Amino acid sequence: MTGDPVTWAALAPFLALAGALVNGLFGARLREPLPGVIASVAVGAAFVLSLLAFATFGERDVGVGVRLWEFMPVAGLDLAVAFHLDQLSLLMMLIITGVGALIHVYSIGYMHGDDGYARYFSALNLFVAAMLVLVMADSYPLLFVGWEGVGVCSFLLIGFWYRQTQNPDAARKAFIVNRIGDAGFLVAMFLIYRTFGTLTISEVNAAVGGFAFGAAALTGIGVLLMVAAAGKSAQLPLHVWLPDAMAGPTPVSALIHAATMVTAGVYLIARSAPLFAASPDASAVVAWVGGITALAAAIVAFAQTDIKKILAYSTISQLGFMFVAVGVGAYWVGIFHVLTHACFKGLLFLTSGSVIHGLGGEQDVRRMGGLRRLMPVTALTALVGTLAIAGVPLLSGFFSKDAILLYTFSSTLLADHGSLVLYGALLVTAFMTAAYMGRWYLLVFEGEPRFTAEARAKVHESPRVMTVPLVVLAALSVLIGYVGLPSFAFPNLIAPWLQAATASVPFDYPPVWAEWLLIGVAVLVAAAGLALAWWVYALQSGRPVTRFGSGRIAAFARSGLGFDALYRAAVVGPSEGTAAGLALLDRDVLDRGLAASVTTAGFMARAITLLQTGYVRNYALAMLAGAVILVLVVVIAGVRA
Amino acid sequence: MTAVTLVLLPLVVATVLLFAREALVARAIALIGAIATFVTAVLLPGSGAVQVPWIPTFGAFIAFDPGHAGGVLALVASLVMVPTVLWASLRVESNTGRFLAALFAMWSGLMGLFLARDLVLFYVFWEATLIPSLVMLGGWGGAQRRQALLKYLLYAVAGSFAMLLTIAAIKPLAGAESYLFADLLAATVSLDVLTQTWLFAGFALAFAVKLPMFPLHHWLIDFHEQNHPSGAADVAGTLYKVGGFGLFAWALPLLPEGARQAAPLLLALGAFTAVYAAVIATRANHLKRLLAYASLSHMGIVAVGLFGLHLAGLSGAMYLLAAQMVTTGGLFLISGMLHARRGSLDADSYGGIAASAPALAAVTLLVLFASIGVPGLANFPGEFLALLGAFQASTAAGVLAVLAVIAAGVYGVNLYQRLYQGPQPNAVADLRPLEVVVLAPIVAATLWLGLAPAAQLRVFEADAIVTVERIEQAQDGVDAPLVAVGEVRR
Repeated sequence: MTGDPVTWAALAPFLALAGALVNGLFGARLREPLPGVIASVAVGAAFVLSLLAFATFGERDVGVGVRLWEFMPVAGLDLAVAFHLDQLSLLMMLIITGVGALIHVYSIGYMHGDDGYARYFSALNLFVAAMLVLVMADSYPLLFVGWEGVGVCSFLLIGFWYRQTQNPDAARKAFIVNRIGDAGFLVAMFLIYRTFGTLTISEVNAAVGGFAFGAAALTGIGVLLMVAAAGKSAQLPLHVWLPDAMAGPTPVSALIHAATMVTAGVYLIARSAPLFAASPDASAVVAWVGGITALAAAIVAFAQTDIKKILAYSTISQLGFMFVAVGVGAYWVGIFHVLTHACFKGLLFLTSGSVIHGLGGEQDVRRMGGLRRLMPVTALTALVGTLAIAGVPLLSGFFSKDAILLYTFSSTLLADHGSLVLYGALLVTAFMTAAYMGRWYLLVFEGEPRFTAEARAKVHESPRVMTVPLVVLAALSVLIGYVGLPSFAFPNLIAPWLQAATASVPFDYPPVWAEWLLIGVAVLVAAAGLALAWWVYALQSGRPVTRFGSGRIAAFARSGLGFDALYRAAVVGPSEGTAAGLALLDRDVLDRGLAASVTTAGFMARAITLLQTGYVRNYALAMLAGAVILVLVVVIAGVRA
Repeated sequence: MTAVTLVLLPLVVATVLLFAREALVARAIALIGAIATFVTAVLLPGSGAVQVPWIPTFGAFIAFDPGHAGGVLALVASLVMVPTVLWASLRVESNTGRFLAALFAMWSGLMGLFLARDLVLFYVFWEATLIPSLVMLGGWGGAQRRQALLKYLLYAVAGSFAMLLTIAAIKPLAGAESYLFADLLAATVSLDVLTQTWLFAGFALAFAVKLPMFPLHHWLIDFHEQNHPSGAADVAGTLYKVGGFGLFAWALPLLPEGARQAAPLLLALGAFTAVYAAVIATRANHLKRLLAYASLSHMGIVAVGLFGLHLAGLSGAMYLLAAQMVTTGGLFLISGMLHARRGSLDADSYGGIAASAPALAAVTLLVLFASIGVPGLANFPGEFLALLGAFQASTAAGVLAVLAVIAAGVYGVNLYQRLYQGPQPNAVADLRPLEVVVLAPIVAATLWLGLAPAAQLRVFEADAIVTVERIEQAQDGVDAPLVAVGEVRR
């Protein structure tokens, strides 16, 4: 460590790791809430270090490197456990440790009385450590350490309540689908090494300039990195694990499956910004995957009835927005939406956790309603989150979503790849987002209660330790957007900050009146979406939808557009068949066949019979005799020479 | 002299153990012997080389040098042998002393073959080590041990015979002064491509059996299934999977032109083995069969790392070999601990035991995730570099072998969940203090090899450079390259 406070941030992952170790080794002997307090303090301390580094980073134009120890110094690779602290990684660290600390505190209340209390906090701390390594790594292999590390923690936490069959099943699905993405990441790294001769991210980014714009190698690497990102960030067609991952405890859904881990793919693209900026084809893949995912997931979110699955599909859809942003070359905008989304979606998940907690485990929105009067703090904060994600003016989601729409509209990088169509798709998605989130809020908190009077007697507002994080996140969901005001008319803090660490792509900005017009369209769309939700679910008590909801289309949407069935038929079934076939082939055909062909050879057969007559001693003797013969042969050969 | 002590000490312990009638006495001797041998192994790095004439008639030397790849493997193997000896002395109830004697004999043989710098000496240890592994299988194996033993023996002898022909011929053909590595290395430059290819084929057959590689792998599955359920013999067998080491230390540097001719075929076979075995492992119910296939898949990755003939892949292959000693070995010990609890090696007779045995579950998870290549843990550096090297040589082989990573994820999490999670009401005892002692070195090594691979990789790379440079020299003289090793060092 040096005197530069920025380098102290290198301690952050180790603080979280220490928390994980303490709880993992001794947590079972500690009394509640001590494990939760230890874990929260560890992440809180990591947040303080991150904030200090953020505050003292200043006007530097290059990142600060912190080299800890050698990792894989082979074949010209200078791979160390080394961190690269720049504007991008420091902002991500703030999100991870800031939102992370709030969710840790919330968990102290949420996990109260659970058998695996210490195990939970150990895994959650370990997750924070891995996630920090992911965003701080200076090389792709070290980033991959964090990348698979968060996958392992996600596996542990989705399957946290492992006695029920469906939870481990969901955990397994998440791990395996993520491994498909990880395989893409591995091949991407191999191709990067072949192309650039290095795996250090800053060296790769610097070397991109030596290649022709749109070079095939860059496009290949970009597409492979997007495969990795699609797995981790639940984009089509590798999104299928995220809805199932809701089997984990709700704070886990908030931290891992909404605020941080699932945005790792967006981070990966932003981290490799110069590479994508030089390859319109790879960028187009990123943006189109994001755009299609955003729209498809919004459709599915409409049909869900589980309070968390609505939010899960909403997350997939919002991640799609982020991928469009980094796809069209607006890297800072993608990360800006990561920031605002971490606040409002983390908040929404925590409010849903509060509801589930208050209702004693109920998750079906058809058996909720009217909770505003019973859980006022939860309801109010949930309303803030809903309005923020819907894009209501002056709340955080409005600014970041608006920036995505604007930059997609003005893209030059993808002007030939249908950026205007993407703009249209996102506009439709924005309308649907406001509508399905309005539906979510109204079904849960407004109208008449649809649960039994007996259940009603037990409903309670959550304890302070849970509601305080809600209030803090709600405040952030209102305020955080002001760091990224529309730059054509206002000072924008986040754009220059992040552009220094990513890449600048030219945009074809419309005139100022047109920018105002675009904002107006976005506001109208959000208002229309909320109005639709209000009309259907408040005024009509959901009647048009109950008629519509039993149809075949709704069932198809509810099933997630049939992806699970498709995978079962096209991937899982054939794979299992192949495995069974190979197992049979190996054992009953090849093994038996080889054995038979060996034993039918007359000489060998006799030799075997001879050998079979004895005991182990005879085998040993035979070996010895063999060795003697061998030595003799060697001697003869040696003499001849 | 440390190297000689390391080879002889376990042999002395083995001899003493043969005369230990009382199980308790045998256990005490084994414990002291294991600690003493391990301490010797720890002193190995930095200790000097030994070279004295042995059979002057044909130029064989007693030559050991701990400064090479074998030195690292000897250290890691010794680290794994300590818990193995400990566990065997706890779990092998019949003829404990003799079983332990066989284990120590293997230890000695492994040390010899890792440290030998004379080809004849290497061969003698290679063959000698076969005997204790046969003894353990034959004396303490399961119901079908006879068939397993026969299969193992036939494969091994066939492979050894081919290697013997190569060894017999290489010195006179190359006109080397002795069987010392350095002399052979200097002399084999003169061999033409055809001769090199034939000689390499002899090595390759022996090493492919011992690696093992498809389709010469069937002995491995039966070998593990039939060995003593404690898993101790399986660990020793895992350490004895030295085909990759033989290729790395002898066949590739001495016969690079031959290797270059055979590389495309063997690269493809290695990639196929990696995926094929991992896919079959997803279907296995028997714990030891599953581990055998998983281990076979790792060996496929070792093979692609070697036959990519790239500096990163060669170093990574050796690293993976060292790491899988710890992880596969550790998993065999854990399977023995499970067997000690419920008397079964069938995964289906477990389930839900994490509740009653959380510490055992945690250790299993760590070692299992290490085994499937989760970064930060033991296998990853080797697996990553081996695959990276293979990809530089052949995109197709590299991508095919990467598919094994996905299949490994499938069998890895499936296994953990079938054993430890789910609603089954099974209850077992958690780790006992002695079992903690047995697993502690495995856990420590899993983290050490995962987090601090640099020093070991440097040793492997220093050896691998010899091979890569010879191939480069040959290429400069001859035609267009068969494999890309151009941009090795920048």
